[in-house]
Amino acid sequence: MSNEFNKGRRKFIKSAFTMASALAIAKVAPTWAAPQGRSFKDQILTNDEIDLTIAKSPLLVGNKVGTPITINGQMPGPLIRLKEGQRAKLNVTNRLSEDTSIHWHGIILPENMDGVPGVSFEGIKPGRTFKYRYDVEQNGTYWYHSHSGLQEQLGHLGPLVIEPKDGDIGADREHTIILSDWTFEDPDTVFRNLKVAEGYYNYQKRTIFETFEDVRQQGLEKTWKQREMWGQMRMSPRDIADVTGSTYTYLMNGRDSAMNWSALFKPGEKVRLRIINGSAMSYFDVRIPGLEMTVVAADGQPVKPVSIDEFRIGVAETYDVIVQPKHNKAYTIFAESFDRSGYVRGTLTPEIGLEAEVPELRAVPERGMAAMGMGAMAMSGNKEEKGMMNMSGTDGHMNHEMMHKKELPVENIKIEHSEGGHGAAAAMIAMNPTSRLHEPGIGLDNVDHRVLVYSDLIGAQEWPDKREPERQIELHLTGNMERYMWSFDGKNYTEVDGPVQFRHGERLRLVMVNDTMMDHPIHLHGMWMELENGQYPRPRKHTISLKPSEKVSLLISADAPGSWAFHCHLLYHMKAGMFRVVNVA
Amino acid sequence: MYAKSLLFTTALLPAVAMAGHAEEGWPEPVKEYYTEQVLFDRLELTRTDEEENVAVWDMMAWYGGDYHRFVFKSEGENIQDDGEPTDLERAELLYGYLMSPFWSFQAGVGTRGSLSSNASMENYAVVSFMGLAPYWFEMDNSLMVNEEGDVQFVSETEYEWQLTQTSYLQPRIEFTANLTDSDKYERQSGLSNLRVGLRYRHEISRELAPYIGVYWNGALGNTADEMKRMGEDTTETGVVLGARVWF
Repeated sequence: MSNEFNKGRRKFIKSAFTMASALAIAKVAPTWAAPQGRSFKDQILTNDEIDLTIAKSPLLVGNKVGTPITINGQMPGPLIRLKEGQRAKLNVTNRLSEDTSIHWHGIILPENMDGVPGVSFEGIKPGRTFKYRYDVEQNGTYWYHSHSGLQEQLGHLGPLVIEPKDGDIGADREHTIILSDWTFEDPDTVFRNLKVAEGYYNYQKRTIFETFEDVRQQGLEKTWKQREMWGQMRMSPRDIADVTGSTYTYLMNGRDSAMNWSALFKPGEKVRLRIINGSAMSYFDVRIPGLEMTVVAADGQPVKPVSIDEFRIGVAETYDVIVQPKHNKAYTIFAESFDRSGYVRGTLTPEIGLEAEVPELRAVPERGMAAMGMGAMAMSGNKEEKGMMNMSGTDGHMNHEMMHKKELPVENIKIEHSEGGHGAAAAMIAMNPTSRLHEPGIGLDNVDHRVLVYSDLIGAQEWPDKREPERQIELHLTGNMERYMWSFDGKNYTEVDGPVQFRHGERLRLVMVNDTMMDHPIHLHGMWMELENGQYPRPRKHTISLKPSEKVSLLISADAPGSWAFHCHLLYHMKAGMFRVVNVA
Repeated sequence: MYAKSLLFTTALLPAVAMAGHAEEGWPEPVKEYYTEQVLFDRLELTRTDEEENVAVWDMMAWYGGDYHRFVFKSEGENIQDDGEPTDLERAELLYGYLMSPFWSFQAGVGTRGSLSSNASMENYAVVSFMGLAPYWFEMDNSLMVNEEGDVQFVSETEYEWQLTQTSYLQPRIEFTANLTDSDKYERQSGLSNLRVGLRYRHEISRELAPYIGVYWNGALGNTADEMKRMGEDTTETGVVLGARVWF
């Protein structure tokens, strides 16, 4: 019934827009996101020198007028297309009443061009212009966004594509898709709500009736055992996203599902989709029902092709996929928030105006025992708890692949927690963190199609630095939902007395342990992180997502002198202090 | 409020640590965050089995950061149309420190008594352990010592059953124990009072949630004996209508 209603509503909104003035429509979304369906080459900023103006302006977001931060009048900002080998000249003018900045996410550049106020420069004062200048020595799909306060939540972001030197994109055409989450609430209000009222945006909590139903179906004893651990830890298995569809309108290139961003193709063509998650807080599960996707790049860096049907994209990650629609019909590009509280869809279509069936949201997933660091190995030697592993927890199953795959370096690294846990800042420590790179993540374990996992990623080429790491740095991701505290090693940024020190020129292994019940996309500025996922060449990433109670190891060549931000890319986690400065000297 | 915030902020600021490399005049990439909240957990009208109407409040306000907070707690009631002044059951100003992920320790001073011009208030020192116990029991346990040296312990526990995403059934239990006899305040040692309640609450928004409920209040032990000797009723029941509100 609600589906019928939604369809009706969609139609209504759509016709309402058709009647709106052409001017109003033109103001709705950036021109490069307009559904002309050609490659964006003729609609985007490709000048040798590019001017960007940051301002606040009223704009239709979905079916309501909001006041986002616009870049050259658009939200998201214009698609910037640079060429590998060129010198980027980007002049950013601040027309806001507060400081702003632009960080070029994933771009290797000098520290003073990285755009993080307080780390790489002082920020851009109102009325001032900052001239970014750097040599572009890479290609691929990236993005840019504000690194000032909570401006990113207001839409201060946009896509950045760097064409390869040879111009070969491996496809007949390409489209760039940037996903984002928009709220009509003031971002400062959102943050305060999270701080003072735990679970404020979660409308998917377990109810007493669900517990009754579990008791009826599986008996009291089993139900108690499932609930017991969560009760002791004072945590919820339904705590998946901090900010949800209850306040967010999810956008694809600035348009909501009703507006249906559409991209053209000709049947038989190879289409490269450059997909960027520019959200403040939302992970998306992306699929195009009826089309196989071949992943060819992760975080802008080429990987050996992997054919899949769905992938999860963490906040700030990018994936390039190639699709080859053979039929003369429309396909839905479906991006579902990973807590299933909402979605945004767009359409890949041979002609404008067509649309395809929109899948329904899948059931709300629940975290299982693995989230508490009580997966496979943690259970050994305790028969009673071993029984608990067989519970129906959706992300706690042990699969056979795990038993046979080659051993990762991180699996032999003994994890040490600081004495007494990490203090009041950490509501839990992972009892026995494991590598979870082969798991698709919460809500995707039991789907009946192929889902991309990190262990699928193989670098398409060898990276120049083949040294073994000389040194190891271990960092723990810590948090306390009750007071919305997020930190590394139990200390938020304001509590540490110095940067994380990298020695210039060294090769090091960064080991991270997620001692929380949430997924965190961790981003290192200025240097690549090679993910030790058992593959060679290793895939390299600018943002790595850690599942609850997961440990990962990454190799870093500390080749970029200066100070660099290192942080959780969930905007409100960063604001809460899950942030460090890395100093390479 | 702004002036107060400013004052508290200054008081709470630790020595500013330079966590990164920054040149003079650059802003900090992440700043300390302070906020405040005023929460009326109970703001209600009670109809007792004695056919009295009683206005009741139970609130808390705080300002601070993650670890350090200034907390103000107040609780009291006013029996309507009885000509008697409002009974302030507690008004406390505390400093709170988060000692473990779910528990804060609070210490401060309080006052209570009848809010009339000629009554003398009972002033006391108080320490509290406030937090969330395993299985989501929300607790506030306070130990008070007044100027006479009388010691009293008050424990409040609330639990919430989630009925739907916006409605809850909330049992509540509160007991008082006197560790000493008090002649001045006519308190008998031992467990003295037990109050249990059950409320059904529906959220209009997260911030505003009206509720209806029932309660039972009974005197215990020496206190009950003393009341019986005076010919007073030792138990009371009632229905409540109110709202949980925060801003």
